[in-house]
Amino acid sequence: MSESILHVLILLPIATAAFIVSRPANEAKTVALWGSLISLVLGVVAAFQFDWSNAGAMQPEVSLVPWLPALGLSISVGADGVSMMLVLLTLLLGPICVAASFSSIKHRVKTYYAWLTVMQAAMVGVFIARDILLFYVCFEFTLIPMFVLISIYGSSNRKAAATKFFLYTFTGSILALAGLIYVIWFNATRVPVEAFAGAGEWSFQIDTLRQAAVRMSPTEQGWVFAALLLGFAVKVPLFPVHTWLPLAHTEAPTAGSVILAGVLLKLGTYGLYRFAIPFTPIAAVDFAPFIGVLAVIGIVFAGLICWVQDDVKKLVAYSSVSHLGFCVLGLFALNTMGQSGSVMYMINHGLSTGALFLLIGMVYERYHTRSMRELGGLAAKMPVWSFFMVFFVMASVGLPGLNGFISEFMCLMGTFQSSDTLAGSSIGATPGVLGPVFAILAGTGVVIGAMYLLMMTGKMVWGPLREPKGHDHDNHSELPDDLNAREIAVLTPLAVLCLVLGLFPTPVLKGIEAPVNDTVRWVHEHGGLRLYRDPAPARVTELSPAGVVTPELAAPRAGGER
Amino acid sequence: MVSTFASMADFLAPAQASFPEGMGSVTLAHYLFVSVAMFTLGLIGFLTRRNLIIMFLCTEMMFQAAGIALIAFSRFYLHHTGQSFVIFVLTVAAAEAALALALVVLLFRGRESLNADQWHSLKG
Amino acid sequence: MQTTTPQLAETIGALGLGAADTGAAFEVATGPAWAMLIPMLPLLGAAIMGVCAIMGVRSKLPAWITVGLLGFSAVLAAAMYAWLPENGRAVSVAWEWINVSWGDEPGQTLKANFGFYIDSLTCLWMLFVTLLATLIALYASEYMSHDLGAGYCRFFAAFNLFVFSMACLVMGDNLLLLFLGWEGVGLCSYLLIGYHYKKHSAVFAAKKAFIVNRIGDLGLLLGVFLTFVHFGTLEYKDLFPMVQPYIEAMRQGSISDIPALVQLIPVLLMIGAFGKSAQLPLFVWLPDAMEGPTPVSALIHAATMVTAGVYLIARMYPLFLVSEWALPIVAWVGGLTALVAATIAMAQFDIKRIMAYSTVSQLGFMFCGLAFLSSVGGAFHVVTHAFFKATLFLCCGAVMHGFAGQLDLRKLSGVSFMKGWGIVGIAMLIGCLNLAGFPFTAGYFSKDMILAEAFITPGPGYQFLGVILLLTAGITAYYTFRVFFRVFVGPKHFEPGDELHGHDGHTDDHHEEHGSSSHGANSDHADENGHTPGDHEPLGGSVEERGKKSHADPEHFHPHAPGWAINGVLVTLAILSVLAAALYFFPGADKAHKGWAGGMISGSTAALVVGGEADHPTRLAAFVGAEPEQGTLFGQDPHKIMYYVSGVIGFVGIAIAFALHYAGRKESERSSADNLLQVKPIRTAHRWANAKWYVDELYDFTLRKPLWAASQIFHLIDKLLIDGLVNLVGYLPRALGKGVRPSQSGVLHGYAAAMAGGLAVILLIVLLLSL
Repeated sequence: MSESILHVLILLPIATAAFIVSRPANEAKTVALWGSLISLVLGVVAAFQFDWSNAGAMQPEVSLVPWLPALGLSISVGADGVSMMLVLLTLLLGPICVAASFSSIKHRVKTYYAWLTVMQAAMVGVFIARDILLFYVCFEFTLIPMFVLISIYGSSNRKAAATKFFLYTFTGSILALAGLIYVIWFNATRVPVEAFAGAGEWSFQIDTLRQAAVRMSPTEQGWVFAALLLGFAVKVPLFPVHTWLPLAHTEAPTAGSVILAGVLLKLGTYGLYRFAIPFTPIAAVDFAPFIGVLAVIGIVFAGLICWVQDDVKKLVAYSSVSHLGFCVLGLFALNTMGQSGSVMYMINHGLSTGALFLLIGMVYERYHTRSMRELGGLAAKMPVWSFFMVFFVMASVGLPGLNGFISEFMCLMGTFQSSDTLAGSSIGATPGVLGPVFAILAGTGVVIGAMYLLMMTGKMVWGPLREPKGHDHDNHSELPDDLNAREIAVLTPLAVLCLVLGLFPTPVLKGIEAPVNDTVRWVHEHGGLRLYRDPAPARVTELSPAGVVTPELAAPRAGGER
Repeated sequence: MVSTFASMADFLAPAQASFPEGMGSVTLAHYLFVSVAMFTLGLIGFLTRRNLIIMFLCTEMMFQAAGIALIAFSRFYLHHTGQSFVIFVLTVAAAEAALALALVVLLFRGRESLNADQWHSLKG
Repeated sequence: MQTTTPQLAETIGALGLGAADTGAAFEVATGPAWAMLIPMLPLLGAAIMGVCAIMGVRSKLPAWITVGLLGFSAVLAAAMYAWLPENGRAVSVAWEWINVSWGDEPGQTLKANFGFYIDSLTCLWMLFVTLLATLIALYASEYMSHDLGAGYCRFFAAFNLFVFSMACLVMGDNLLLLFLGWEGVGLCSYLLIGYHYKKHSAVFAAKKAFIVNRIGDLGLLLGVFLTFVHFGTLEYKDLFPMVQPYIEAMRQGSISDIPALVQLIPVLLMIGAFGKSAQLPLFVWLPDAMEGPTPVSALIHAATMVTAGVYLIARMYPLFLVSEWALPIVAWVGGLTALVAATIAMAQFDIKRIMAYSTVSQLGFMFCGLAFLSSVGGAFHVVTHAFFKATLFLCCGAVMHGFAGQLDLRKLSGVSFMKGWGIVGIAMLIGCLNLAGFPFTAGYFSKDMILAEAFITPGPGYQFLGVILLLTAGITAYYTFRVFFRVFVGPKHFEPGDELHGHDGHTDDHHEEHGSSSHGANSDHADENGHTPGDHEPLGGSVEERGKKSHADPEHFHPHAPGWAINGVLVTLAILSVLAAALYFFPGADKAHKGWAGGMISGSTAALVVGGEADHPTRLAAFVGAEPEQGTLFGQDPHKIMYYVSGVIGFVGIAIAFALHYAGRKESERSSADNLLQVKPIRTAHRWANAKWYVDELYDFTLRKPLWAASQIFHLIDKLLIDGLVNLVGYLPRALGKGVRPSQSGVLHGYAAAMAGGLAVILLIVLLLSL
């Protein structure tokens, strides 16, 4: 895969945005749609150029456009299997978001589509950055388009929601930046030059810094990890720093919600996957139970909150908190199963929850309410909508055969396996610090998920038809009772992908397996855990003079010394 | 360059020795005295006068005071940084003058007065 | 529990299991590719139904396509059975489904193919599933004809999807594909229970079924996790050989050699089985599931899906055998469920619900069969029950269809004698005889296989359980014939239900109007005691009102006698349920096989031996006609004794029903049984049983309500405490700013002076420091 195609993926949306601004307002949506479609096609081309047999390595191998060489600043891009998948997800949601906004955005159209398109560039930039500077710039830049989308095009309480969203996630990001800067400083000043290429100089390259970071002492790692965690956890959002999400989701326009749920939240988990865990493996292992507890609380707590919601969009927003709990849990299982599952979860959640937000948006355009007290039984009036609703609810519930199950199963399985205790006696277990208890507690989320999502389906889709009082059919003369062709065209690709990923996930799984295996191996090498068990049953490495058996696990951690 | 001299003092010694030659009896202290005097005048003017244009001129005076000090030191240490910095300062000052005078004109249009006390809408 | 272990081990040891087989290879052949069509044809069918719905087909075409595809599946299932070599097992892989790998050693790759495992157990299940599905689809073509159009397509799409899921469940070659089918049938059950989606009760029942099942599924999922973690594989072909050493250990009585984790696996798996097969404590969803159309109740909620739990245990039998707790738990849960459900069935008035509780009760028998080390008994009962319970349900369905949704046994009488209803009456009688365990019916033999084992299998309180099961058998005979004597014979009388479709021209709209307040399906709530005719005035009134609107005045209502499709299916099923008895004897020439069912089971992993030979002397040989090499009862072959005992008990049950509900009954509302209700204790017991022992209320009160309250509290915590803290953090800088705000005077000179003063101070400090 050539480097230039990745550059184009960032630059093309910016160019599209400029073009949108320069054209009359009535052309904006067409231009945005074509721009995002071309991006998607390019993304698919990139995916075909990508060497999947070597998905674990960053491709292209070397990519360096110097910017300020004296300071070590450069633009360097690349993608491994995980990045590629997330880029494809982002690019896929692009045209969908544009097409979903055709009928709902009526004023300040140019601004809307321009920012929506710029957003694409920033999100793609995050996933393909190999340089912390580019990563961080893009990571932060996503806030601005989102802020604009919420604060101009949102519903009644949009200003407060936008402000809270911006300040909350921005505060978190600053902490993450502090952590990253510490690593950069550490590499430049504390690592001997001869340690590895790029050591001892100012470098922003992720690969270089990863090697430097693991040389930090456990205490340093703890602090850096805490900073990174705070930054990325807000974005995920992990309980208890999740409260901006329901507000932002409820107020955001449909496309904003889709992007927020589909991609923006994944920036947080991606950050954890790309930085927090490999940079500070010792701390990641130490913190894993703590994060596991937070994730489990999030799964159950947010799930139960969903159950008592009346605003259906808020319900889906809280369900994101619950679902992302599985994602984080899988990441901190620190094994291939969990982390692959987590990456799968990022993709699947983007598809199914994105689709749910689209569906809710479509109803909102027709009825101007999202209250399940006023609205219900839509199967009678909107059979096509209802079909998609039930379909995506089932995908979200984790019905086997659809995509949600694969990731949910893998995250839970990874959590279950990740047990040092079991690893000694059971061949299917991996070293790790979570284990069955976490899996069982998180597993209740599967039941709770069915409870609230079916409650929602029962009220919105089934039952006798209920429409808001004074609902006038002329209100939306532009839209038919049921979905129109454009809306069906928006939902169909998502539905097809849900089904395909549910029945044929192996190509995708194989694509993310190699990079994840690398990460896991890295964590286990530097985090003091054994990845691959000795085939010999003995866990005993040596017999100390006193005759006391020293288990391998008690040996000092490899990554501790400089 | 640094390596050819044992220390900074060695490097500067000949230049400092030749300082009086080019300047007669005027030493660094004289320049600094002028600079301080100008700065103090500017400061006092800024603090006591109410006329916006005068106040602006006072700030310019303080700028120039700083410039003089910089050039004097630059000459004293035979180092071009101070001079080039002054060029920057002058450029910035010019830009700033254009901006500030425009603002003053605008303010004058608003209240038909140049008295600085007329404006206190930034009160917390 | 300590005492059971040696006993179980002793039994297994005494049977001489395992020893010869430990070395034997567990060979798995490659299966034929066409076997994959068995699940794939229904899947194709579901897709075609979707196309039909899009094209707006308003004919019976979807039904014919479904019947054709399912029929072809059934033929293929038969072909698969014919293909199957003696004791053969084979795997056909369609595609690689999930593959995650983190190393090359065993246990470091999780692989789950879309692959199908073919052995005799699979064949047994697939044969009756596809056969019944085909027949019931044919039945439904007529039954659902009031809903031609989108609803018809929706029904058959879910129907096809169900058969696909069930086939995945049964044929899957790994636990994960089983889980796919497991949840898939749950989804179809959800969709079909909620078929009349405008009815609140149907929507609620559908949701309840899905969620209760999900609880069980979680147990199953955890079982799957543990299986993988311990054995490093989910594929049967790798898994079963790995269990072999544990069976050997069990045989030798050294249970301590079996890790506790392994013993825990079946306990987790059985939670799933209890959910899907509606056992205590998760049985509450099945009776409510009767909200679905009757063909669905017959196929999914009586004959096939609910037996998935039995299948799971049978499939994982080797794992259940190596746990010292698993089978006793299964036995007790099954036995208690059988009794509890039977008592509830005695006091219901809705005939479909009676059948539902009877299903729960019979499933309890099947679990007991498995637990009493008689997997043949359990599986055979599944087969016979599938046929006769389908017959019973379809008869009820015909009545419901013909009498506008009327299901209350007090409002119907003498149906068999009405014109055009003879076939239904006879089919019902055959079904009832089977269920009641009337001598020489299929149900009689299959139930005996289980009952007798209770008295000779060592286990905690198994003999007592046997007594419970005998009692339950008597109760079963009573409530079965209560329905028969009340509804199908006696003086002719009927009141139509309130779903007047099926009678005359009816459309979707018509259905919508009346569906929401269906009283027919819920009438048991109205009658807790006494049920004087006055109680029903509101119902009668409402019917009249509706009658005016829909031109279907009850006065002029004519029962809608079943057509050829329904009658044909009923006849076929009735014959099949009679013939099922033959499977018990034929082809039983070979002593070891003991009937077709025995042969099918003993050739699979559900036998006590893994990888063993067909003629291995197993427990199965202890069945009737064989040498009673295992335990005896009163010095006799227990099965022979049980023939007489259960025969007598069945007669007694039927006789009581006859006396209370037929003898001297002049009207449909009342029978001599009502006199008994004058006695206070009986009345109280009746009321409690009618209210299903208040289990629903108990769950609502102890689980749902507290959870709901907790959720509300969580919501408040989230809004006030967590978000409040966040807002507080945002508020603090603002408050600070407010505090220092006065320092900003707005006067330019003030700022200048402050700056100068500040500079001076800093200079002073610098000066002082440098001194």
